[in-house]
Amino acid sequence: MSDKHKDVLIAAYLFEDLAKQDFDAVLKLAEQKTITVEGVVLVQKDADSQVHVVETGDHLGRKGATIGGGVGLVVGLFAPPLLAATAAGAAAGAVLGKFAKHRLQSGIAEKMDTALPPGSGGVIAVYDTDGADAVDKALANAIKKSVAHIDGTSAKELKAGLAEAQAGMGG
Amino acid sequence: MSDQAIDRTELPIRRPPFQGVVERTLDGSQPDWNYVAPLSPPEGAPNILLILTDDAGFGNPATFGGPIRTPALDRLAAGGLMYNGFHVTAMCSPTRAALMTGRNHHAVGFGMVSEFAGPFPGYSAMLPKDCQPFVKTLQGNGYSTACFGKWHLTPDHMQGPGGPFDRWPNGLGFDYFWGFLGGESGQFDPVIIENNTAIGVPEQEDFYFPDAMADKTIKWLHSVRAHDTAKPWFTYFSTGCSHAPHQVLAEWADKYKGAFDQGWDKLREETFERQKRLGVIPADAQLTPRPEEMPAWDSLNENQKRVYARQMEVYAGYSENTDWNIGRVLDAIEEMGDLENTLVILVWGDNGASMEGTLTGTFNEWTMINGLPLTDEQQLQLVLKWGGLEAWGTEMMAPHYSAAWAWAGDCPFQWGKQVASHLGGTRNPMVVHWPQRITGQGGLRSQFTHVTDVGPTILEAAGVPQPARIDGVEQQPMHGTSFAYSFADPSAPERHGQQYFEILGNRGMYKDGWWLSWMMPRTPWKVDPETIKAFAPGVWDPASDPAELYYLPDDFSQAKDLADQHPEKVRELQELFWREAEKYHVLPLLGGLTTFFGMTPPLPTQTQFTYYGDVENVASGMIPKIFNHSYTISAELEIPDGGAEGVIVAEADHLGGFSLFVQDGKLKHTYSFVGVFEYKQESATPLPTGNVSVRMEFAADGPKPATGGQVTLYVNDEPAGGGRMEHTVPVRFTGYAGMDIGRDNGMPVDRSYADKSPFAFTGTVKKVVFDINPHPSGEHEQELHEHAHQALAGHAITA
Repeated sequence: MSDKHKDVLIAAYLFEDLAKQDFDAVLKLAEQKTITVEGVVLVQKDADSQVHVVETGDHLGRKGATIGGGVGLVVGLFAPPLLAATAAGAAAGAVLGKFAKHRLQSGIAEKMDTALPPGSGGVIAVYDTDGADAVDKALANAIKKSVAHIDGTSAKELKAGLAEAQAGMGG
Repeated sequence: MSDQAIDRTELPIRRPPFQGVVERTLDGSQPDWNYVAPLSPPEGAPNILLILTDDAGFGNPATFGGPIRTPALDRLAAGGLMYNGFHVTAMCSPTRAALMTGRNHHAVGFGMVSEFAGPFPGYSAMLPKDCQPFVKTLQGNGYSTACFGKWHLTPDHMQGPGGPFDRWPNGLGFDYFWGFLGGESGQFDPVIIENNTAIGVPEQEDFYFPDAMADKTIKWLHSVRAHDTAKPWFTYFSTGCSHAPHQVLAEWADKYKGAFDQGWDKLREETFERQKRLGVIPADAQLTPRPEEMPAWDSLNENQKRVYARQMEVYAGYSENTDWNIGRVLDAIEEMGDLENTLVILVWGDNGASMEGTLTGTFNEWTMINGLPLTDEQQLQLVLKWGGLEAWGTEMMAPHYSAAWAWAGDCPFQWGKQVASHLGGTRNPMVVHWPQRITGQGGLRSQFTHVTDVGPTILEAAGVPQPARIDGVEQQPMHGTSFAYSFADPSAPERHGQQYFEILGNRGMYKDGWWLSWMMPRTPWKVDPETIKAFAPGVWDPASDPAELYYLPDDFSQAKDLADQHPEKVRELQELFWREAEKYHVLPLLGGLTTFFGMTPPLPTQTQFTYYGDVENVASGMIPKIFNHSYTISAELEIPDGGAEGVIVAEADHLGGFSLFVQDGKLKHTYSFVGVFEYKQESATPLPTGNVSVRMEFAADGPKPATGGQVTLYVNDEPAGGGRMEHTVPVRFTGYAGMDIGRDNGMPVDRSYADKSPFAFTGTVKKVVFDINPHPSGEHEQELHEHAHQALAGHAITA
């Protein structure tokens, strides 16, 4: 994993199919190694503000990745409760707490929570900051984009914690 | 008394002479039962149903080739006559004033809308007593009369319970009124006026104003018939549709899903072809091109196309619903056996389709009216914020479609609403239906006709003269000409051979087929200071605006400008325009209202307003003027043991408004900046019980338009919380929603109490006091006053 600073980007959409189109476009950048991606997630926020993961993509541009590794990082930064089902034991609680704390301290929480109004679709991506221009172009159909940042070390720690919890080793 | 014996030239009609015999007792006395009979119209006088829809174009209804299904209009056209040469004034109140009085709009003080009463005879918004509506004549001759829906002829500042009521519908000839007084209304949360009383916002969950309006009309007709089987009635069915906010249930809008995906350019071409096929425009008519200000559909991105297409789907569904309701009223009349002798005149649109949604269309028309231009990107974000595209057309938004859809709806003409110089603003479909009198059903009439002709036509149909005096006041003759002559003869020479047009500096002069178009160089939806500056006194020379010339008998759509070929005709019509303008009080030309710069009304003297706890539905134009400067709202409350919750005072809703309320024991203040930003403050601790005074102080950064400032909340004179508001509304929160004490009627300002609406205060609000006079200097006060006046003018342009 790269130690570079990373962008945590959330793009909001009026139309699900256009969100999917942009999601595919970012994954293609990852697949072509135009950018270095931790993970990309396509989500939908329902009228009751519940977030649903529609599709995921990993650092190699593969779809359908499980919510671990880079994808887990993306999901955890956006909606930590969604990680709960993927981890077990006491470590699960600890890692969720770490994500929640980091979101709050870094200001990501505020940005993420307001970026997607109820009823909208979103693409969330975590990638090395130097890929920002390419990602911006790929998200051509987004109505609104919000970007937060996370340093490489924190990202690495969060991912490691998540992996530990998901392996159930901390139990 | 026989018809002939009644002198109907003066109203009220004198009591009939007693024809019996009176002795000292009944012994020998001869009764005269006619003496107690009610006055009747002449024998055979028809019932009259006058229908007017709002903000709609010549090319909107399917009956005239448009994409919107209008089976009721089809039915009337098939059984009556279609008119494709009928004209309105290009704006709401002016058309309505001309319609009701039969006089030119400036001549009766309505060069502008009722929201803006200006200090010149042509712009006073005060219908003069010597130009009474023809309805008063019908009423005075024995008709039952009623008006349902939009009125828009009562000056904005006279819409309160204190009156005066002589310019409300009941004061102008209507026995009964149910509707709204202003220029627009929410369809789900209107503030209903019944006769001279605001009865407020209906609380039933499935309320929809256009449906309720038809219900009320039918009920009234049934009641009149139940009372008297033969008495003629006059009904003015004046729909709020299709004015913004474009609101309709999804089931209506969804009928058009995908119907506009081809875009406005293609839609206009399709409409044009259908118009030719139907024969409602001549075979040699030309389609006028898109103005360069509007984007080509093909140049839009995918998001824009989808959002814009939905805008038109909602507009179409909204309009079709209104046609459906018209059909319900017609069915009721038919069921009563009255349709045969009912004269129905239906005008589809009081002006051309409205371009006031700006190029992007808007989730909330009040953003533009408050001078807040939003980019396409911002509009899309706000659509996202308020529920996405599914919410477009619901009560969550106050939407208006893109100006380019209006242009498409005005097919085949140029421009639209406000543009009195061109047919897109002034020519609207009219259908006349009267089975007992009209033969040759399904025919087309193309004589030049004008909205001032409707009154004279109705009086001729009723067989009553234009009265010389009403209530002792000598009446000016009507300016319009009856078009009843055209009922029997499609080729009858037209009798309304000359007509001026003027709205806000856009001028037109029609004479014997020639039409001078003298448009001021202002895009209709632009009211920003930079644009308006060009029309300031001493800057704008209306005589130097470029003139266009059309000959309508050969050029139905104004596609061939002949000004260069016929400069003498241009001069002749220009001179005629100025003469007519002088004669009918069109002068001074407002030029986007810039001539009022420096002519602000006297400063108001009342700066403190006290509302006791049971005041509701204060008209939106009559709330204290809290805009652009510091102000204070204070309230005296009684809070019972155990606490209280609810609204202390609230104006309008989440798309613009404020609410001071108690929730979770705390004093809270929410201010919505036209749905773009919300500012919320709350007290740190719960309110005490017993007698409690609370106060919200807004300390403006400075007395300036849309000023930011600091809010401080006080409880029993101690600071209790606060926060900053970066922007405040500079002009007005809403066009219809009222202010309430002790509750928040209609849509809530703060959505957090939406499930408890109207969130009535559970303690007691003894009184609420507004203080709007903390201005730092007289100079600032004058500046703000001038700004407010100009801003109001901006609002009036779009009403």
